[in-house]
Amino acid sequence: MTLQIQNLGRHVGQQWIVRHLNLHVDNGECVALVGPSGCGKSSTLRLIAGLDQASEGEIILNRKNVSHVSAAQRAVGMVFQSYALLPHLSVFANLELGLRVRGVRASDRQQRIQAMLELVQLQDRANVLPAKLSGGQRQRVALARALLRDPDVYLLDEPMSNLDAQLREELRPELRRLVLDRQKPVIHVTHDQHEAMAIADRIAVLHSGRIQQVASPTELYHHPETLFIAKFIGRPQINCLRPKDGVVTAVRPESLFFAKEGLPCKIMSREWLGSSQLLYLDSPEGSLRLSCSTSVDIPELLIVSWHRSDEHYFDAESGRRL
Amino acid sequence: MNRRFLIGLLLVWSLGPLLWQVYTSFCSDQALIQPFVSHDQRWTLIHYQNVLNANPPFWRYLVNSLIVGVSSTFLCLLLALPAAYALNRIPRQLSTLSRLALVGAALFPYVLLFLALLELARALNLGNQLLALSLPYAALSQPLAILLLNNAFNDLPPELEDAAKLEGLSLFQRFRWILIPLISPATASTAILVFLFSWNEYPIALTWISDSSKLTLPVAMARIAGSSIYSVPYGAYAAATVLGSIPLVLLVLIFQKPIVSGLTSGAVKG
Repeated sequence: MTLQIQNLGRHVGQQWIVRHLNLHVDNGECVALVGPSGCGKSSTLRLIAGLDQASEGEIILNRKNVSHVSAAQRAVGMVFQSYALLPHLSVFANLELGLRVRGVRASDRQQRIQAMLELVQLQDRANVLPAKLSGGQRQRVALARALLRDPDVYLLDEPMSNLDAQLREELRPELRRLVLDRQKPVIHVTHDQHEAMAIADRIAVLHSGRIQQVASPTELYHHPETLFIAKFIGRPQINCLRPKDGVVTAVRPESLFFAKEGLPCKIMSREWLGSSQLLYLDSPEGSLRLSCSTSVDIPELLIVSWHRSDEHYFDAESGRRL
Repeated sequence: MNRRFLIGLLLVWSLGPLLWQVYTSFCSDQALIQPFVSHDQRWTLIHYQNVLNANPPFWRYLVNSLIVGVSSTFLCLLLALPAAYALNRIPRQLSTLSRLALVGAALFPYVLLFLALLELARALNLGNQLLALSLPYAALSQPLAILLLNNAFNDLPPELEDAAKLEGLSLFQRFRWILIPLISPATASTAILVFLFSWNEYPIALTWISDSSKLTLPVAMARIAGSSIYSVPYGAYAAATVLGSIPLVLLVLIFQKPIVSGLTSGAVKG
């Protein structure tokens, strides 16, 4: 099973929300869509799900063009950011509704829902209303609903954004076990780049409704194709030196080190991050961020440097990599 | 000023006339005009007996009003629910224009339509038919009902319906399983308002119905009040008022929670 998106676009009035979007997701592959708020991540998912109509382009699922197929017939399993559980129905009834509408017999429904509740470890919560569940449990019910559909493609719209950082970390293996190991194409929208890097095989960076780069997390981090991606991927953010002759030089904070020769700097502030520390520096090249181990002694006369091989060059006007 | 005193003042202001009606309905005619009457001559059930044993009996008017109220409410909701839903789905400019038109219609004094409605009733032969009264009542309640229900639909997270679409639910199934149950508080409060309007409506009922066995409550009560040219039957009128209020009081008490939550829906984001 594969998902192929060709030249997908949608406009509302004169404004393009998504445009010239091309993406191929293989069987068992997880592609994360990342980008700033309003860049078109969720809109892309809605187009793939059939909840919104595309203005141009095609969506091909298993070599079949589904661009004009209704949402109900697209065999898409979607997990919403808010989970979209019906508040007036119990967990069991929430899971049952879709099966009932699709004409599954009562005995089969019972059996399949029980099995699914065991899979997501919520067998004792079947008769509880969603309001009585914790955030993590709600997320698992939403996942269970998508899994019961046995779809051809999974679309996850920031499914962990409502959870606290610790729970998000705990649920990542769960997400992998339940969805990512199912050998189906998965598109995972997230604003958390750590989550994207931890879960996805490839990451697509969206900006103003267009995909800027699709690559593996390592490739994206080490060889960003645009200045926007270089700034967006990686925390603390990459250092951009003052443009010279129309070229912006960028260096990752962890590539900076203390040296005898280089840029003289002044410490503006310091952040303690546990295993590492982050120094905010003022230099003739503008403000810089330097990340180093907490065991490193900070010299009184601060001079920083970096290897030329760690430099990234971008065109100051277009932002493209040189 | 003391808060309790203010609450007390408000209670006297709003409940005073009602309690006075209850008191009057149990007082003999003599006690109403003479303040110092003995205990035995003061209290009586005669007004209730007279009202209930009249020809036609008073309960007939209650039933008539109930039939008109229920049918009007049902018809109004049947039309207003899909209209309120559609108002959110049509293009924004058209939706804004429609809302403005609805606000205008809701504020329009319906008494001005009363002659035209009378002509309609005559032309379509709708006079003296109880169920026919629900046509103008449902129509006149439409603007307010649509606006109230539209607010409730607005408050629902759109993802709920999106998730249902992906599960394969048709528009009717989404209405049945998701939308109607979730906006039930607003539906209940709208239903009460429509029911109250049709229960209290006077000019249309007065002109459309002349058969005394088919009168609705307000018209019947006006007839009681004007039954004699020599005296005003305060006791009988008060008894009729108390009997006519009981169904409404019961209705509001039973549906108190959904009414309050429905009327305040959308006021504060949860």
